[in-house]
Amino acid sequence: MARPGVSERTAWLFMAPFLLLFATFTLWPVLFNGWLAFHDYFLLSGNTAWNGFANFVFLAEDKQYFHPALLHSLIFLLVVPLLQLVAFGLALLVRPRRPGTGFFRALFYSPVILSVAIAAVVWQQLLLPDGLVNWLIASVTGLARHHPPDWLNDADYALAATMLFFCWKYAGYYMVLYLAGLQSVPRSLLEAAMLDGAGAWARLRHVTLPAMQPVILLSTLLSTIAALKAFQEIIVLTGGDAGTSTLLVYAYFVGFYGQNFGVAGAVALLLTLFCLLLAWLQMHWLGEHGVLRHGGVK
Amino acid sequence: MNHPLRPAVGAHYLALAVFAVFAAFPLLWTLSVALSGDPSRMWFFPEALIPHEPGLIWFQRVIDEIPVGRYLLNSLGIALSTMLLSTLLAIPCGYALSQIPFRGSNALFVLCLIAMMLPGELAIIPNFLTFSRLDLLDTYSAVVLPALASAFGVFLMRQAFQDLPQETLDAARVDGASEWQLLWRIALPQCRPMVSALMIFTFVQSWNDYLWPAVVLKDRLKMPLAVGIFNDLTGPFSTSTSMVMAAVIVAALPVLVGFVLTQRYFVGNPKQDAEENTSNTGQ
Repeated sequence: MARPGVSERTAWLFMAPFLLLFATFTLWPVLFNGWLAFHDYFLLSGNTAWNGFANFVFLAEDKQYFHPALLHSLIFLLVVPLLQLVAFGLALLVRPRRPGTGFFRALFYSPVILSVAIAAVVWQQLLLPDGLVNWLIASVTGLARHHPPDWLNDADYALAATMLFFCWKYAGYYMVLYLAGLQSVPRSLLEAAMLDGAGAWARLRHVTLPAMQPVILLSTLLSTIAALKAFQEIIVLTGGDAGTSTLLVYAYFVGFYGQNFGVAGAVALLLTLFCLLLAWLQMHWLGEHGVLRHGGVK
Repeated sequence: MNHPLRPAVGAHYLALAVFAVFAAFPLLWTLSVALSGDPSRMWFFPEALIPHEPGLIWFQRVIDEIPVGRYLLNSLGIALSTMLLSTLLAIPCGYALSQIPFRGSNALFVLCLIAMMLPGELAIIPNFLTFSRLDLLDTYSAVVLPALASAFGVFLMRQAFQDLPQETLDAARVDGASEWQLLWRIALPQCRPMVSALMIFTFVQSWNDYLWPAVVLKDRLKMPLAVGIFNDLTGPFSTSTSMVMAAVIVAALPVLVGFVLTQRYFVGNPKQDAEENTSNTGQ
C-alpha cells in the first residue's frame, strides 16, 4: 500500500501531542512503579535507595494487611462471571422490539452514568441496618430479624455488598456490549439449526456463543480489569474497612498514609503483571481458538 | 399466530419490570426522600417511595449551604475541556495509526491496547509525584492533563478511520490533498457518529471522576460536583439524610438529563435500526 508523498514524519507529527501526554501520564507511571518497587523512597528528602526485593519481602510477610487484601481482590473477581450472566440476560430481555424496550435499555444503563461517589452515598443509606434494603428483605421473606445485617460495617457482609453494588452500577454497560454481540449472530444459521431440530441449548452452544465469541472476550476482559481495579467503589462505600480492602486500596493507604511509595509501587507492579497474565489467559481460553469457537468438540 | 405467544410476552414484561425495580429504586427512593418535607417515613417500605408532605425545603437548604453553582461550573469547565482536548488529540493520532504506514505503527497500537488493559488507578501515585514536582498540585491542569492521555480515544478513532472506504481517500491524495486536509475535510466528516460517541463518553467519564480530582485538589472552591458534594455529604452535612438526598438529586440531575438527550449514543443499536429500516423499505 504505497501512499505517494506521505512521509513517516507526517505520522509522527500527527501523533506527537498525544504521545507526549501518553508517555508522561500513562507510560511513565508504569515504568516508575516498576522502578519504585525495588527502591526505598523518602518523600521529604526526595532520596531514593535500591533495596532489592525488600518491598516484596515486606508484602509477603505482611499477614495483617496484604494477605487479606490479596484474598479480597481474588474474591472480588467473582463479579466477572456474575456480571456476564446478568448482562447477557439483560441483553436478551431488551433485545426484542416490543413497545417500551428502548425505555428499559436506557433505564438499565442509567446506573452506569451516575458518579460512583454519588451512587455510593445513596447505597450507604439504603444498606444501613434500618435501611430500605433490610426492610425490603423483611417484607419479601416475611421474616423480621432482631439484628438485621449492617451491610457495610460487618465484615461478614461488606465485601459481598460492595460486589453487588459493583454489579448494580456496571451491569448496564456490559448489557450494551452483549446487545451489540447478539446482532452479530446470523439469523439464518439459527433458523437452519432450528429446522435441523436443534434445541434451545444446542442453538445457544453451537450457534449463538461461537458467533458472540469476540464480544464475550471483550466483555470478560473489560470486567476483569474493572474488578481488579475496584477501588473508588470501595473507598466511597466502606472506606476500605470491614474486610473490603483490595490490592489497590492497600496500595493507596500504604502510599498516601504510610508514605511508603516503594511498597505501593511493588503492589502496583504485581497488579500490572497479574492483569496482563489474566488478559493473556482469557485471550487463550475465550479467543479465536478457545472453547467458545469449538462448541466443546475439538 | 400471535395468540400462543401472549403468556411469553407477559413473562417478558414481568422480567423487565423486576430488573427495572432493581435498577431504579435507589434513585426513586432518593427523589422521594428529597421531596419529603417530613423525613419520618423514609425508612419504611413501601411508604418511603412516596413523598410525605412534599416540598422543596431540602433543595433550598442544599442551595443555601453548599456552593452547588460553583461546583457545577467547575465540573462543566473540567469536563468540557477534557472532552474537547482529548478528542482533538485522539483524532490525528488515530488517523496516523490507521492511514499512514510507518515503522513501529503496530507496536504503538499494541502499546495503546496494553495501556487500556491496565488499571488507570495505578498511575495515581506516580502522577501525584509528577505534579508535585511540576508545582501544579491544586490546579485545574493537574485534573485535566492525565485524562487527555486516553488510549481508549485513540483506539476508537483508529477503528473509525480504518473502516473508511479507501478509494475516496486515495482519490483525494492523487488530487494533491495533504494528509492534514484529508483528515479534517474528508475522513473526519464521515466519522461524525464515532466522534460524537467518543466526546459524550469522555464528557461523562470526566464529569463523574472522583478519585483523581479528590487527590490533587485541596481548595474546596476548585472542586467539581462529584468531589465537592461527596466531601460535603460525608463531612459536615452527613447528619441530615434528607439534605444528603436532595444534594444527590442536584448532582445527578444534570447527568441524567444529558443522558436522556443523548441516550442513543449509549444504548442505541444503529446496526439493528439500520437493518430493520432496510427490511421495512424492502417490503
